[in-house]
Amino acid sequence: MRRVGITQLAQSSGVESKENLMDLTYWVNKEVLDKVGLQRDELDCIIIASSDIFHSGLSCANAFDWDGAGAFMLEATRAEDSMFSFIYGCMRIMSGHFDTVLVTSIVKGSENAENDALTSFFADPFYLRPLGMNETTAAALQMRAYMQRYKITEEQCAKVVVKNLGNAVFNPHAHIKKKVSVEDVLNSKVICDPLKALECAPKSDGVVSIILASEDKAKELCDKPIWVKGFGSAMDHFNLGDRDLLNGQLPIAASHAYKMAGIRQPRKRIDMAEICEPYAFQELLWCEKLGFCDEGEGGKLIDSGETQMDGAFPINPSGGVLAMNPYVSRGMYRIVECALQIRGKAGEHQVDKKVKTALAHGTHGFAGQCHSVVILER
Amino acid sequence: MEQKNSEEKPREIKTNVLVPYEIAVGQTWSKFFDYLKEERIMGKRCYKCKRILVPPRTFCPRCFEETDEWVEVSQEGIIETWSYATLKFYGQIQDPPFISAQIRLEGADTGFLHRIAGFDLSDFEKANKIVKLGGKVKAVWRKDKRGDITDLDYFAPVEILSL
Amino acid sequence: MGRAVAIIGTGQTKHGRRNDVSYPELVREAVIAALEDAGITFKDIEGVVHGTMPSMMEGISDTHLYFADAMGAVGKPVLKTETCGSTGQSIAHCGFYWVASGTADIILVVGSEKMFEGDGQATMTTVADPWFTKQFSAGAPMVFTMQSMEWIYRFKIPEDKARDAAAIISVSNHENALKNPYAHLRQKVTIEEVKNAMIITYPVRLMDVCPASDGACAIIYASEDKAKKICKKPAWIKGLSFRGEEFFYGESNKSIWPSATEAAKEAYSQAGIHDPLKELDVAEIYNPFTYQEMIFYECFGFCPRGQAPDYVVKGTFLMDGQLPCDPSGGVLCTNPIGATGLIRLAEAVLQVTGKAGEHQVDGAKLALSHAMGGIDQFNGITIVGSEL
Repeated sequence: MRRVGITQLAQSSGVESKENLMDLTYWVNKEVLDKVGLQRDELDCIIIASSDIFHSGLSCANAFDWDGAGAFMLEATRAEDSMFSFIYGCMRIMSGHFDTVLVTSIVKGSENAENDALTSFFADPFYLRPLGMNETTAAALQMRAYMQRYKITEEQCAKVVVKNLGNAVFNPHAHIKKKVSVEDVLNSKVICDPLKALECAPKSDGVVSIILASEDKAKELCDKPIWVKGFGSAMDHFNLGDRDLLNGQLPIAASHAYKMAGIRQPRKRIDMAEICEPYAFQELLWCEKLGFCDEGEGGKLIDSGETQMDGAFPINPSGGVLAMNPYVSRGMYRIVECALQIRGKAGEHQVDKKVKTALAHGTHGFAGQCHSVVILER
Repeated sequence: MEQKNSEEKPREIKTNVLVPYEIAVGQTWSKFFDYLKEERIMGKRCYKCKRILVPPRTFCPRCFEETDEWVEVSQEGIIETWSYATLKFYGQIQDPPFISAQIRLEGADTGFLHRIAGFDLSDFEKANKIVKLGGKVKAVWRKDKRGDITDLDYFAPVEILSL
Repeated sequence: MGRAVAIIGTGQTKHGRRNDVSYPELVREAVIAALEDAGITFKDIEGVVHGTMPSMMEGISDTHLYFADAMGAVGKPVLKTETCGSTGQSIAHCGFYWVASGTADIILVVGSEKMFEGDGQATMTTVADPWFTKQFSAGAPMVFTMQSMEWIYRFKIPEDKARDAAAIISVSNHENALKNPYAHLRQKVTIEEVKNAMIITYPVRLMDVCPASDGACAIIYASEDKAKKICKKPAWIKGLSFRGEEFFYGESNKSIWPSATEAAKEAYSQAGIHDPLKELDVAEIYNPFTYQEMIFYECFGFCPRGQAPDYVVKGTFLMDGQLPCDPSGGVLCTNPIGATGLIRLAEAVLQVTGKAGEHQVDGAKLALSHAMGGIDQFNGITIVGSEL
């Protein structure tokens, strides 16, 4: 199979921007093109990720996003989620039909209603919507089950917030960045018991772009391409009642990625991970499902300190989704952070450990109905 | 699946979706609307392909470069195409009948979508005689300006205005 | 370049008003039909591609989550892609590249829409930006009418000649649909009825315009090895492409439609087609409006610019003509938007595999399928053939 490399990337800040979305999209994509030294029309293909879930009041958002993504009269298309568009971009190159693909993800959370006003529309109108189901209520159900089954404590969940928002202080692109204590988290307003306000992700702006290339082309375009070693994704049942909320599809998604990358012992081979954790406890749960620790040991993992920036296995040095949640783009921001860490270009939020292999994870849907995993390596 | 009782009407539920938005206008379009308040129609020029884009854009979608100059275009133009709308549906901004048209303003390199009015719109046959493809139209402004596209109230066929 | 990919099965629902089923049930109907056609089961599917119109249409978002069970996608990777009306072609292309990439051998692609559950025109108006365009939108008919008027004006086509040709297109599409068991509108219409029907946006009248339909379509892709093993008559992908113009309507010249023209050129180049009128056996064109269909004939090189009405009147594009177009009855008789572009491909596949039943074009070996999206912004094409 053809190797796919990341050549250059560009990202916007998660803080609310007063700029028009079309302009914001243009600036980020112009930046990445300038960095790689290509003209817009030298690209073989463009894949836009933007949402139809009522974001910005635009439907067929690919129409509005087309110009800013540089897609005029080029082979281009749109996917619904940034992890999807990244994986699709890799597939287009692996097919042999394209040598360069720009993948860009576009969303402006500041223009929208609250996250849960929008995620409530995932729910079918017959059973789940009338019950007030949205991403937060679904996560709350999952959190209670998780804490009960494995005796995970509120403090352990709060530690994730302390770590991630604290890491974000060093990330110029993050949206929410502050030093908080476990008490601050536990005392923050209860949103949907047992979830507290600080344990829930904000809604952020975020335009992010990556230029992918086939092996030969990648080596032409940059000194040290970052190779996409593997990817995988998997979908769970729709109805919450059909699922075991603590044993979802993440192991399957990860297994596809690990198999492609030839990884048998994830914890040994992977140096750091960026995990999509819109609700703090999910970082612990997803770590277990990714095989970074044993089942039920997520709490112990955060207690050990290993997942801190200076730890043996840093997780979310960017601050994660708790620090910045541009819904559609949040998966690709994980990939971008991994790439920066591998390149040693993460500035003040560079982890102490040398990073050769990194894992990026994305999720969307109720209680992680859909998971995607991407593995990058120097 | 169970055999349906043919007398049973299929069940449906009715529901509405209402979602609020606050959308950033941005630098370029804010300025365009400010110019409209002064009764000036402005385009922006791409230094590379030299096209003057109306409505103005921060960047040229073809050259992918930032546009540089603000250029005033004429308030007169020709009708490149038009359509008489009678279809009514939920969420429409104005009630039919109305005429939308693509107008090439003098000095602009792109067509500009707006309304044609200034005469009795209720009779299509009459309208069809007045509005002609390639016909000349001129901007008519609204007195109280709001800083949006409707400050340009409509474009009227030049013959009507001289009557 | 890359490995060959074929379509080994297609499935469609009975399109129309389907308030007898919920949206997931509708999707499942098409998926089951495709699996039966391909002679495989859910177990064999390695991944699913899904697409549909945006959330506003049925009031539910991220439908790939909602349909996870209906599409048999549980435990499998899913990709969702959507490009407005051209969604059907975009999901078709996604399935192709997935198999071509070598990361899967058998992929299911599903497009769906349940337009009776929402307000189609209101949804389409939200494609327009709120600052400049939305004020003047009267939904799809207005835009497509403007385009057709521009074409008539630029090529100096006499209005009544265009009207006659458009009426012929309407009559022939409706007649073809009578032979298509899946079509939504199945009614005979006469030239007189078409010319005297209610005006929607002049000169477009009721019979010049597509319906809003409920419907779903599914196709199954397989790699060359698998296709040869499990399918008696695979339909090979010969060429595919997708192009889009600027967001603002007035920028590109829609009477010569660069995205449609370039998409066709690229697809022909891949498929080795130099004279489409001669070399294609059948074309399933995205034709929600009769007048606009003629612009497509010209963009796709079936006839010189400005001359489509002459070719139509001559009978070139009828079932017994040189290049039958839309033997299924086209979009004019069936339009569940998220599925429509994919239905064009499914119909093209039925033609080149000899499975189109009563609306079969005899001896068809090479077929073009197409879909258009946005406010005249996007065009996607897939060409299939019975030979590798």
